[in-house]
Amino acid sequence: MIGKTSNPPKPALWLLRHARSSGGDALTGDLIERFHEGQTRGWFWRQVVIAVAVSILAGIRRRGPHFCYAIAGTVMPVFLWASVRGLPSALHWWVLTWPWSQLVLELSATALMALAALPVLAAGLAVTRAFRWSSLVLTGAINLTLITFAHYMQDFLRPWITRPIPGDLTYGRESIIPPVIQILIFFCSFLIAAWLGCRPPQRPAPNAKPA
Amino acid sequence: MAVIAWSIRHHDLFAILEQMRKRSYLGEMELMVLLATVRLGDDAYGVPISKELLNLTGREVALGSLYAALDRLEQKGLVTSSLGDPTPERGGRAKRYFRVTSAGARAIKMTRTALTKLWSGIPLLEGRRS
Repeated sequence: MIGKTSNPPKPALWLLRHARSSGGDALTGDLIERFHEGQTRGWFWRQVVIAVAVSILAGIRRRGPHFCYAIAGTVMPVFLWASVRGLPSALHWWVLTWPWSQLVLELSATALMALAALPVLAAGLAVTRAFRWSSLVLTGAINLTLITFAHYMQDFLRPWITRPIPGDLTYGRESIIPPVIQILIFFCSFLIAAWLGCRPPQRPAPNAKPA
Repeated sequence: MAVIAWSIRHHDLFAILEQMRKRSYLGEMELMVLLATVRLGDDAYGVPISKELLNLTGREVALGSLYAALDRLEQKGLVTSSLGDPTPERGGRAKRYFRVTSAGARAIKMTRTALTKLWSGIPLLEGRRS
């Protein structure tokens, strides 16, 4: 038979083992059983590709609240930035001692934006029955750390990621990073924070012996 | 203040969500997989379930999709699974046997009742002219 040898393709087995697909070892065993019944290598590969794709989609579905949080955190500044940009002045940053003055001036508005998206994560976790206060606190803390890091990295990398604006007599500079990439970086910081801050959803483990 | 009150009573919210989850009806794929599992009895593992679905519905379901559906059903408490002994013809991998729980059987009956009610009284589906 064309495409049929005695053993299933090893790269496909390796992929299946590392993809953490739903069925795990049982799925691999089922595919090997069907292969020995006469299915082709092409059929085996097709099944593995579907299993991996389904596994990725299931992972995204399990992490749905994290994606909602990242989307909310990315979209929210568009609507609320005008309202919160005056926050440093409202907090009288100039009367604070360094480094608090600098932190309040540069980060307070962004931090408020990051924290404002947390209720979305809380709602998502409650719906999926995974709500924990510790997850919210940890996610918020990680997000603030990431935003602070990104902010100061932006300053550090300024000579490389900006260029002079042609014809600008004030020596102003503009970013060379496309807006889409900037939005993506912002989205990823929220996603990473939620991914690390929330305990991963558990899959049910089968019993060791038949019932 | 409202946040504190909510935090004290959030267990009530979980109870409501749990109740909503219990009342949800089965999807097409879930219903077919559950019925195939019931029909196979003690021999219900991935390969026979997929063959049963192919024989009875003419629909070839990829084993990866089948396990994803079974995992969802297990999370909902509608099936349970247990591992058998590893066998050489399966490359030393154990079979994962599935069994429908009493909650699963209730969900099947509830879905059938709901679908029957929806079907009844539609002349087109009963072979009559409208």
